[in-house]
Amino acid sequence: MIDDKEIAPDLLDSISTWQVNRRKLLKAGLLAGAMTQINLFTSCSTELKSNNDVLNAQQSLVLETTLNVLFPDDGNGPSADDINAFGYFIWAIQDDLNRKQEANTFIIDGLDWVNKKAIQLKQTNFYSIPANHRTAFIDEMVKTKYGKKWVSAMVTLLFEALLLDPLYGGNKEEKGWKWLNHTPGFPRPTEELRYEVLMKKQLKIKQ
Amino acid sequence: MSNAKYDICIVGSGAGAGPIIYELSKAGFKVLVLEKGPWLKTKDFTKDEMTATRRDAYTPHLKDERHVVEKKDSKGKWYAQSTEDTGSDLWNGSCVGGSSNFMSAYFHRLKPKDFRLKSEYGPIEGANIVDWPITYDELEPYYTKVEEIIGVSGKVLPHKNLEPRSTPDYPYPPLKTNIVADWFVEGGKKEGFNIVPAARGIISEPKDKRQPCYHSNYCGSFGCSSDAKASSRAALINIALDTGNCEIRPDSKVFKLENDSTGNISKVWYYDFNDMKQSVEADIFVVACQAIETARLLLMSKSDEFPNGIGNNNGQVGKNLIFAGGGAGSGSIRFDQLSTEDRAKFDAPLTFVNQTLLDFYEIDNAPELGERLKGGTIDFLIEHANPMPKAFRSKYKGNTLLYGSALKENLKDYFTEQKRVRYEIFCDWLPTDNCNVSLDETVKDKWNDPVGKVKLGYHEHDLIVGNYLAEQAEKVMKNVGAIDINRSINGNPPTNLIAGGCRFGNDPETTVLDKNCKAHEVNNLYVTDGSFMPTGGSVPHTFTIYANSFRVADKLIERLRMTSDLESIG
Repeated sequence: MIDDKEIAPDLLDSISTWQVNRRKLLKAGLLAGAMTQINLFTSCSTELKSNNDVLNAQQSLVLETTLNVLFPDDGNGPSADDINAFGYFIWAIQDDLNRKQEANTFIIDGLDWVNKKAIQLKQTNFYSIPANHRTAFIDEMVKTKYGKKWVSAMVTLLFEALLLDPLYGGNKEEKGWKWLNHTPGFPRPTEELRYEVLMKKQLKIKQ
Repeated sequence: MSNAKYDICIVGSGAGAGPIIYELSKAGFKVLVLEKGPWLKTKDFTKDEMTATRRDAYTPHLKDERHVVEKKDSKGKWYAQSTEDTGSDLWNGSCVGGSSNFMSAYFHRLKPKDFRLKSEYGPIEGANIVDWPITYDELEPYYTKVEEIIGVSGKVLPHKNLEPRSTPDYPYPPLKTNIVADWFVEGGKKEGFNIVPAARGIISEPKDKRQPCYHSNYCGSFGCSSDAKASSRAALINIALDTGNCEIRPDSKVFKLENDSTGNISKVWYYDFNDMKQSVEADIFVVACQAIETARLLLMSKSDEFPNGIGNNNGQVGKNLIFAGGGAGSGSIRFDQLSTEDRAKFDAPLTFVNQTLLDFYEIDNAPELGERLKGGTIDFLIEHANPMPKAFRSKYKGNTLLYGSALKENLKDYFTEQKRVRYEIFCDWLPTDNCNVSLDETVKDKWNDPVGKVKLGYHEHDLIVGNYLAEQAEKVMKNVGAIDINRSINGNPPTNLIAGGCRFGNDPETTVLDKNCKAHEVNNLYVTDGSFMPTGGSVPHTFTIYANSFRVADKLIERLRMTSDLESIG
């Protein structure tokens, strides 16, 4: 059984490593500019899954597995992999211009939480649960207050990965728009007019 | 950066400021504009949901600037929360041109009876209803001026609440609309309703350097890439700059109006891009930084002469804040109910409906509500085309959070098998003692100045009127084939339509401004955003704010010319 009152995940040993890595990434991002980072997030999702500075290896595996449960390859439109949802998530959760930083932290904490629950209830990592049992496991997670909130936050980011401009790494080859017969607004954003550029103007950060 | 003394210094650059900037620059006066936000140009605006709605890059960061909002809980007890904690803010657009850059631009005039609400409909217990100190006839020439100078498109058709006009029609022809516009007209006829075209502050033909609307697919909440939308920046400030008499200082956050021993303002203080304190002098000062921040600035500007804030020796600044009352509703029209031809037309990326029902601006056929009472406006529209709000509507089925294949099926159905049509209702948000602005005693902004504390009370009468209008709107919605109709009429204010807080009127004891929007207590301070409005009418405020600002501009030019003539004689 899942304890509904347990809403805060335990810290994993790797969290301190992750924090150090994240700080390194953010520092690098500030030095290099977010635009150089986005190339990484859009172009090499496979490499990101095995090696990124935002999540540790276990978190990356949990994220990849969760995304394909929440947005599966089921013959109805693109899957999470098809739209590069993983790459989009990695960009989104390291975005320190996002005014809702706690939302980013919450996503990462939830990855640890869901895996801890898998070990507790299934005696294995979440990503090692047989594929045909993973949805049922998420169904159980969603019965808890924390689990429902976390899955809801994941779905919101998935919507962004599916429907925002491909400029931000998701919606690869406009697969989300094409699937839903959506016509975007015009003109579309460009690299020079990414949201970070405008947000820095709003926050009076010199560029 | 010049430190010369200006004829006029304007705090803010939105709809309340633009006409002053435009008219005084053209009249040859030296104009300085202090705008808190950055100076975004037309080329900076794209149809990027990330920028406009997902990450809110056009408004301040709540960690830097926030409000404290006071509301009633379900048991009727007042509680206060910082917007930094709730995440739901009261900002609308912080950049040159202000929130007018992002408006939907439904331009309805007030009706003559709106100017004498108390005289026409009598008092309502618990509401501070008053008549305006000016009449519709005094403002009418300025509505006409807005239509011509800023550019309003539409078509005047007769209806029983049509206001008197000095011109037969709008200067720009109506914008192209979706086929559902015709269905709404027919749906209204079945009920005996007279649905007529709604005017928009969006040009349909070229004007000056502005290009007409090209139907970009994303409009409300997004900046305009052709300058068709009548933002203060595109329609007025850009022309004022061409005169050479206007200087814009973006990234300049005004925090104090300093007065001399005579009680006149001598200078304003602001934080520049680097958060350094700067000051500037002028003969006349205009404050127009939207109702909440305008009241806050006056309250923050304390001195020996004004210990409770400038212009506030009678304690009226911040009182009687109002919003646009009413609410909205929506329903789906499923494509399988339509012919192939109608489906193709309805599903085309053409988002304007521009149809409005004004038959109930005054309600005289609902005895259960009273013999005769003030009603409001019903606009019909299609849901915004940007996809994220549609996705959020697909996230749940009932109370069940969807994911996996069930979520994908719901998304596919929502996006490809139906389209949601909407109605929006505008009625008076009655002014009360429970809706106002003060300074919070503990919460500060990033400059360590007290933030505005906004008490958000409403009058139950607003909901009665709103629900009556919603019932009429939903009859039409059903007639056009909408199903799953929902309604949201409640006391939560639309935070993009704010007015009041510095009422104008003839009595200095009960109002902040005189009929020309000059502070009763300060000889060189004017307020020209929506703050002046003692009641808001049953329409969005923007058109009236523009018109009133043009009216005040004439008063200012007259005054400055008189001063100049006197000086030349002297």
